[in-house]
Amino acid sequence: MQWSTLFQKELLENWRNKKWIWVPLVIILLSIMDPITNYYLPQIIESVGGMPDGTEITLPEFEPPEVVMMSLSQLSSLGVLIIVLLSMGSISGERKSGVSELVLVKPVSYSNYITSKWASLLLLVWISLFLGLLTSWYYTNILFGSLAFIDFLKVYFFYGLWLTFVVSLSILYNTLFKSAGLVAFFTILTIMVMSILTQIFKHIIEWSPNSLSDYILEMLTTDKMPTDLLATAGITIIISILVLLVSIQIFKTKELAN
Amino acid sequence: MTLLSVEKLTKKYGTKTIINEISFAFGHHKCIALIGPNGAGKTTTLRMLAGLLKPTEGSIQFESVARNKDIRHLIGYLPQYPSFHSWMTGKEFLVYSGRLANLSKEEATNRADSLLTEVGISKDAQTERISRYSGGMKQRLGIAQAIIHKPKLLILDEPVASLDPLGRREVLVLMEKLKQEMTILFSTHILNDADEISDELLLLNNGEIIESGSLQELRRKYQTAVIELSVEDDLKLYHEQITSIPVVSQTNIERDILYITATDIKTARENILAMATRENWPITRFSVNQASLEDMFMRVVNN
Repeated sequence: MQWSTLFQKELLENWRNKKWIWVPLVIILLSIMDPITNYYLPQIIESVGGMPDGTEITLPEFEPPEVVMMSLSQLSSLGVLIIVLLSMGSISGERKSGVSELVLVKPVSYSNYITSKWASLLLLVWISLFLGLLTSWYYTNILFGSLAFIDFLKVYFFYGLWLTFVVSLSILYNTLFKSAGLVAFFTILTIMVMSILTQIFKHIIEWSPNSLSDYILEMLTTDKMPTDLLATAGITIIISILVLLVSIQIFKTKELAN
Repeated sequence: MTLLSVEKLTKKYGTKTIINEISFAFGHHKCIALIGPNGAGKTTTLRMLAGLLKPTEGSIQFESVARNKDIRHLIGYLPQYPSFHSWMTGKEFLVYSGRLANLSKEEATNRADSLLTEVGISKDAQTERISRYSGGMKQRLGIAQAIIHKPKLLILDEPVASLDPLGRREVLVLMEKLKQEMTILFSTHILNDADEISDELLLLNNGEIIESGSLQELRRKYQTAVIELSVEDDLKLYHEQITSIPVVSQTNIERDILYITATDIKTARENILAMATRENWPITRFSVNQASLEDMFMRVVNN
């Protein structure tokens, strides 16, 4: 009951500050940007003056799986950045402004406080991602060739897990720092370090959350469900939940005022 | 019956001791003022009681609640500079606060309605965003959110410091009323406010309680009286004569008033009046005043 009060407050807040409008729009934009510019590249080159006479370039023909990966690669860079910006003040901002003093003096359970924020961010992210990838899937079908709807759903689900992990990480740093800037910095730093480690120790770290995109590509190209993808998905879910639990523990030990 | 007893409460940041082993207790339906100069540790003490800060040492024992159990449902708290979700309306925020304190939706709404009227937030303002509220309105909304769940102890940090005289008066009247229903612990550095509504005083300085008790007790203990004298002609003519009275300890002319402090106020008064009658002084004013709370406060703090 208290949880739903907190959760509803988050939804209302995100509605009033227009996050429910701009986040889906930005995610849609990021998802379709690359597929569409790639498709229209010849026309774009033409209209900006074309190539010198005699130049022959053959633009690669893209297969639908590659097009989907274009969307994911945009989401993995700019999309992640947007999500970090979106969530960086979620708890730290309330602590900085002091409004958490009023909220947490009430008999509010700390885990309710944290998980309601986590859940509301996830809802926003998953719905935006759905709309983004759906648009991307639509254009892929029109412009590049057919991709089964079930494949789209699979891509959506597995990639959503990666963003879930990003949100959990941001919540963790939210409980550690009062400055939204630090939250953003450390979230991005962690993702970068993880990505580098995954690259370097590819043979050892097979199921890093950072590898989800690679396995999604494998799934699309081989048309089979790689066991590595399932394992990585499982690991990502477990790590996300662990990170969330640690956040709650950290928050309990934190002093809520200066 | 004690409502709350605090024992050897201590707060340290590193090696710096902010609050040093303070102990006090108080009962139901009391109004206690926590007084002290800036930096004395008033806010830190209140935050520890509200559960926002963890004491380094010592215990806070609430009546009928086991040690180390959550006491937040029994406490209402208003910080010195409250900040709200400014995108909410006043009423929304109150209902939200009530729901967080585990009231049902209906209870919370009813309670919010009656509190908004009680603290004097107009119907129009109730549905306006808090970002448009004035300082006084925010303060009143802050009190309303603190008592939405009918706490047994209401903690207010400098509730009137930021208000204009009118707002100050309103809040004091409100506190007077709330005293019937709950114990109020508030901090202030404005002694007249403390004088006006509190039953007991706790004087805090440098993280220690240096004096406590009812206002009357403290008055008796630290009382000094001052005689104020004005005359039609020049005060200097009489100044010397007055200083020659043995019990007079200090005199001081400010504008056209002569302030006289004495070790024995009764004898001093008799002497001066006798002198005045004998020599027919053109007195325009003669009064014996209690030393102001400020004087008392300064004395206690400086001791």
